[in-house]
Amino acid sequence: MGNLIWHEWARYVSITASLYSIWAAFYGILYRKFFWDFIGGTLRAPGGLQPSPGIALFIDIIVKAPVVQLITMFMAMGMVALEFPAPFVKGTSIQRNFTIKLVMLIMQAFSAIMFYQGTNGAIYSLVAAIGYGRAMMLGEVMEEAKNNKGRGGKA
Amino acid sequence: MTESWFRREFLTPRRLIFNVLFYGLQLFFFGYGWFSQERNQKLAALNGLKWSVWVSRGAGLTLAFLGGCILLPMLRNVIRIIRPKLAWLFPADENIWFHRQVAYALAFWSMVHTTAHYVNFFNVERTQVRVEKALDIHYTQPGGITGHFMLLIMVLMYTTAHHKVRHQCFEAFWYTHHLAFFWFIGLYAHATGCFVRDSVEPAYTYTFPFYNTEFCLGYESWRWTIWPGIAYFAERVWREIRARRATRLSKVLVHPSGAMELRIIKPSFKYVAGQWLFINIPEISSYQWHPFTITSAPEDPYVSVHIRQVGDWTFGLGDRLGAGPSVVQAMTKAAMAGQEKDEDGYGTRGNFVELASGSRDLPEVRIDGPYGAPAEDVFNVEVAVLIGAGIGVTPFASILKHIWYRQKKGTLMNLKRVEFFWVCRDAPSFGWFQTLLQEVEEAQIDPNFLRINIYLTQKISEDMLWNIAVNDAGAEYDPLTLLRTRTMFGRPDWKTIYSRMRQAIEVGQYLPGINSQLKTNVGTYFCGPTVLARAIKEATVAETTKDINFSFAKEHF
Repeated sequence: MGNLIWHEWARYVSITASLYSIWAAFYGILYRKFFWDFIGGTLRAPGGLQPSPGIALFIDIIVKAPVVQLITMFMAMGMVALEFPAPFVKGTSIQRNFTIKLVMLIMQAFSAIMFYQGTNGAIYSLVAAIGYGRAMMLGEVMEEAKNNKGRGGKA
Repeated sequence: MTESWFRREFLTPRRLIFNVLFYGLQLFFFGYGWFSQERNQKLAALNGLKWSVWVSRGAGLTLAFLGGCILLPMLRNVIRIIRPKLAWLFPADENIWFHRQVAYALAFWSMVHTTAHYVNFFNVERTQVRVEKALDIHYTQPGGITGHFMLLIMVLMYTTAHHKVRHQCFEAFWYTHHLAFFWFIGLYAHATGCFVRDSVEPAYTYTFPFYNTEFCLGYESWRWTIWPGIAYFAERVWREIRARRATRLSKVLVHPSGAMELRIIKPSFKYVAGQWLFINIPEISSYQWHPFTITSAPEDPYVSVHIRQVGDWTFGLGDRLGAGPSVVQAMTKAAMAGQEKDEDGYGTRGNFVELASGSRDLPEVRIDGPYGAPAEDVFNVEVAVLIGAGIGVTPFASILKHIWYRQKKGTLMNLKRVEFFWVCRDAPSFGWFQTLLQEVEEAQIDPNFLRINIYLTQKISEDMLWNIAVNDAGAEYDPLTLLRTRTMFGRPDWKTIYSRMRQAIEVGQYLPGINSQLKTNVGTYFCGPTVLARAIKEATVAETTKDINFSFAKEHF
């Protein structure tokens, strides 16, 4: 019954995607691999996949130093803080802005797709972004929370 | 939260046993899976991947166990049949709760399993224990493809099953949850890629199951997990067949309060009081099945449900039946106006309008059920305390009617007394139920058999206060409910109610003729919000003595 409130659903997907990305980035630091290294790479036994020299930049920022993983992790943490929401963003207009969330989710998807473990996190982030996009198309708004509302059962 | 988490999970014996069994089995399967991989000499090459392969195999076995469990609580017909026999063993009415626990565990072990496999494939590529790329295993082999699909399906299913989404838009939950079909195909097909093997290449064959079990050394868990899947599929097919049996909508009554009563005739439909059914009206939506409590007694020649127009589907139904919001509003207004004019017009609320079936053809209906509810057991106790809160009062319509029929026939079995409590915010919105209560109350010969207690929790305006004060004094009927029973205001004090009842039973006032040596069973049947349920349950537990056993059962929707 009733209508699906897209942004509320997108929030659950976004939290899932961000938590997944945090975890993926964490063990992406321990087991470093560039997701797209098969492009032009050669498989050697023993030795594994040898990436082509053309993508050396990505090898530098993903395998040699886990820059992308760290960026993803911080972005996803920021996303969780925004979605949950953490006390310092609660009630601010950023927390209720779908555009910011949509852009952040797409950026998160971009950085997560770069490393081996992040693909699912990227896909789920895009699903959440689609949810927010749909919410914006339907003109949904997040109501400003009322501060004077008592907590249930404690009135 | 009134009680601590620890107290709830560990100091309640039944919950403790469940926790030990359920989580203990998961840990057992994890450990067994781990060691059977580690000790298997045939898999020495894979064991070169060390802990990640052991973890993935252990978690895989646990996931197989959970995948087999997740459908068990959804076998509604099986549960209905075994419920009376096994009610003492497990709370059969908590099936959705169990379904959720399995789902949470599935999510956790999926995380463990997936993480371990990401490490596995990473190391396969690095060490070239098999000559292939990690991404080949992830995205070109059956294990990887089905695994990623199952994860995506889980994200969609879990997020739409959140209670907020489920309440906002049941369809989103209902349709998305049917992705489970593909999820199970993924589960059964997950090992067909023969990832766990002692041969260099997967040992595929041309006959079922398309791989050679001599070399493919997985757990073959699909041999077990497929049975609940088949059972569930069969049940859904059976429900479909049963729903297609001859069903006819014979009458539609509209009560002034806005509730529509559908009277349906289906000879093949057998049920007991207090059960519920799913109803489907293909003209409104061919796939949506909506649960409603049966409000007729098994003795009635028809099956009835009372439907209030609150959501899309019920509005649609109202429009289709010619009882759209405008019609109902007009009727309600007329009824209220009539009541004001005619102060002593008892039963004005009870007047319903039967929609002329000739002018408009009635739509085709299909019903599926009945499904179980604990109130079937009222005749096994000496005293039945029936408590309905708000809309939760509906199952008691059927039960009270049924008790009334059996009273006439003299087949009440153990049942000596019935205490009926109805806690609601505003009684007038349940006008149809009042009519029923009036009938039952009128029919009582023994004044002590049925006691009706109505508690009104809404705030009372000054006008209403005067109304009550003036009209109530000396009147034969209560001005609000038109019953002989007086309406009480405010929330009931369960502790006092139960302790009075216990004292009355102890001194022999309450049930004359009951020998104090015999054990008296007082069964409480509740339907309504959880907070209230907890308060009542505490009261029943507190008052239970050696001779008087207070039991408690809660219904779910």
